[in-house]
Amino acid sequence: MSTVTNTEPEQKTIPMSPRRGRPGLSVMLEKYALAAMFIVLCLAFSTMSSTAETFPTLANIKNVLGSESVIAIAALASILPLTCGQFDLSVGAIIGLSSIVTASAAATHDLPVVVAVLAGVLAGAVVGAFNGWLVAYRGVNALIATLGTSTLVAGLISLYTDNQIISVGIPEGLTNLGSGDLLGIPRPVYAIVIVALFVYYLLRHTPYGRYLSSVGASPASARLVGLNVPRMILSSFVLSGALSGIAGVLLLARAGTANPQVGPGFTLAALSAAFLGATAIRPGTFNVPGTLLGVLFVAISVNGLVLAGAADWVEPTFNGAALLVAVTLSTAIARRRTGQS
Amino acid sequence: MTENTGGAQDVVLRTTGLSKTFAGITVLRDAHLEVTRGEIHALLGGNGSGKSTLIKVLAGVYGADAGGRIDVQDISAPADEWSPTVARSAGLHFVHQDPAVFGPLTVAENLAIGRGFVQSVGGRIDWPASRRRAAEVLERFSIDVSPKTLVSNLRPADRTMLSIARALQDQEGAHDGVLVLDEPTASLPAWEVDILLAALRKYAAAGQTILYVSHRLPEILELADRVTVLRDGVQVATRDVAGLDERTLVELIAGRDLERVFPERPDTVSDDVVLSVRGLSAGPLKDVDFDLHRGEVLGVAGLLGSGRTTLLRSLFGDRPADSGEMTLQGTRFAPRRPSAAMKAGIAMVPEDRGSEGLFGSLSVRENLSAATVSRYWSRARLQHGRERGDARDLVTAYGVRPASDVPVAGTLSGGNQQKIVMARWLRREPVVLLLDEPTQGVDVQARSEIYEHIRRAVARGSSVLLVTSDFEELAHLSDRVVVLREGRVAAEARGDDLDPQRLTELSYLSKEISA
Repeated sequence: MSTVTNTEPEQKTIPMSPRRGRPGLSVMLEKYALAAMFIVLCLAFSTMSSTAETFPTLANIKNVLGSESVIAIAALASILPLTCGQFDLSVGAIIGLSSIVTASAAATHDLPVVVAVLAGVLAGAVVGAFNGWLVAYRGVNALIATLGTSTLVAGLISLYTDNQIISVGIPEGLTNLGSGDLLGIPRPVYAIVIVALFVYYLLRHTPYGRYLSSVGASPASARLVGLNVPRMILSSFVLSGALSGIAGVLLLARAGTANPQVGPGFTLAALSAAFLGATAIRPGTFNVPGTLLGVLFVAISVNGLVLAGAADWVEPTFNGAALLVAVTLSTAIARRRTGQS
Repeated sequence: MTENTGGAQDVVLRTTGLSKTFAGITVLRDAHLEVTRGEIHALLGGNGSGKSTLIKVLAGVYGADAGGRIDVQDISAPADEWSPTVARSAGLHFVHQDPAVFGPLTVAENLAIGRGFVQSVGGRIDWPASRRRAAEVLERFSIDVSPKTLVSNLRPADRTMLSIARALQDQEGAHDGVLVLDEPTASLPAWEVDILLAALRKYAAAGQTILYVSHRLPEILELADRVTVLRDGVQVATRDVAGLDERTLVELIAGRDLERVFPERPDTVSDDVVLSVRGLSAGPLKDVDFDLHRGEVLGVAGLLGSGRTTLLRSLFGDRPADSGEMTLQGTRFAPRRPSAAMKAGIAMVPEDRGSEGLFGSLSVRENLSAATVSRYWSRARLQHGRERGDARDLVTAYGVRPASDVPVAGTLSGGNQQKIVMARWLRREPVVLLLDEPTQGVDVQARSEIYEHIRRAVARGSSVLLVTSDFEELAHLSDRVVVLREGRVAAEARGDDLDPQRLTELSYLSKEISA
């Protein structure tokens, strides 16, 4: 009856090698908006009169890269539980714990550096396992569970250290890792690269990563394709704890001292970066390149503003704003992808 | 639109040149819908026909492309400016497949949530007045429940009627708006459907205009005055229902003469017993015995609560059996978790596709390989290229639309989602395939394709255990049917007993009879 002009718009043959035919402009824009903003910001700080002399210098860039290494690794740690649908608010507390454990093992108990480092990472994994057990096997809401362990860990650190900074006896082998360059690149950057490659490989190139995102997408469906959902959730927290432990060791290596107070401050910065990351590169999905971009974006923004003369309030304000914007955006993207806009 | 029954009538809802494009793909093209006052107007169409899109545009959930126009009574707006607020103020009331009622609250509270509570001094809720008003509404819509009843205790048909009453309660008999019902009977058992249809007929007789979306053709023939059919986003016809029959409707929906919806039933059943169940007890199931043969489609009939779903869950290891013996291909079989059942060659397509089958936020490709991910793990990485190739082959083989492995699965229509879940399991070439309501909320075209795939699987040597409340489907698709009643196998039907009436009788009868 009515004139059927084009009933099969979707029947076009799909080109063989590239992932999609022609990604639309809006898709490209969404993928690379964060990267574009990052570049614009760099250009702006490099040309603005108040920062033109200090911002685009090798020393400053190295400083930013080095100092962001802890947050970068914490953000990479947090995207593992996030991928399977769970928040981990304890990454910061674990960073603090691991740096205290490592420092204490090496300085107070005179253990070899390698053993001390392993003890720090292991402490993180143990806290992660406790989180995972609460969430996966006891059904506790992840926000509450990790907030609880986080507070508990902070309290125990305070008890153990008497709120004293451990500054004497940190082995040089460790502090050397945190400072200085290797082949002209700050050493902590290598740690970021290794952890990033590990998480990227895990999420994109192993069945384990696919299982995590399946659990995150629908736990009930995941169970009915034969996945052990509680075990997946538990393992993601253990990995997150262990990686946060590495971040804690790195913090100690960079600072040269273990401060019982600093850990929890990293949580929010890590989450901001993770959620910013979920708006970029693979929008709607927590992904490694996006997360790194998120870390750099926040870091450069704060760094530029501080260089321009802004005071201490900038960092928390910017981190908070970045988190809210990122969460709002990534939620909107996820909604639109699943057609509930 | 040539077959429109004339323009002189009082048109309540009219869309003009309504189109909707998603990412360059037109899913709805130039739709002209006209609904006249007091009629029940059915909207029909297959997967991806644009039917759901049209409803969502009317609700203001999707913004339409520029150029169209929507008129409801005296409100007229360009289609791209239509919003949920405009839709509501124009008097469009939507009730969806899953009535959005609140189980833990009472009937009176559910009604009050739609319009606000009656309040007395200080903003305190005036409970007696709220209940009185609820009672009036229930009376008006002939819903025979008390305002104090918890909604979770209502039967499904009453819940749907309650959500209709909640939507329409403020009209006070004026019948000005349009009630849009989106598959209201999809999750209702047959006898409750009749209750709902009777109620709808009554509302329509009182002058209520209804736009009715459903896959169930007999229902439409029985209920509707006129029908509009969409296909591939294009409006194919608008006709009076009088004089139409099911076959004509199917042809309009499918766009070609469907030989029959149900495939031939060649004899693929062999004598080998693949699965043997003895004395199985689990939850409502008591002492269930049956044998499943190679190449057989064994139907499981029974009413809600007869233990049908529990049976499948036990076989899949999701709800391990309490006692009993099972033998699969000669070896003892007692799965404690789904992975164990899968390893033994069992596959299950669950009833609740949305929350237990699909990964709504993952791509079609990831959904297709969800039960086979480990196959792509080689040389220490996932072989994405191989996975993509296989996914594309499956998309073609199962006629998934749009024909691509890239889209997010949640954006596809119900029938296409079901094809994906079917393909996910059939690609494993299961020894036993467990199907729980495989065609629920799926249109005729996709249904017949799903039947084809089931038939093909048994021809390749799989065996199927089919649970469905559609007795027609059961009768046409099964080689044999066991009837579950209150957790026991009460009867077995084969041969001439395999007809819908007989199966209905067997399921409803309260006394044991020999089949």
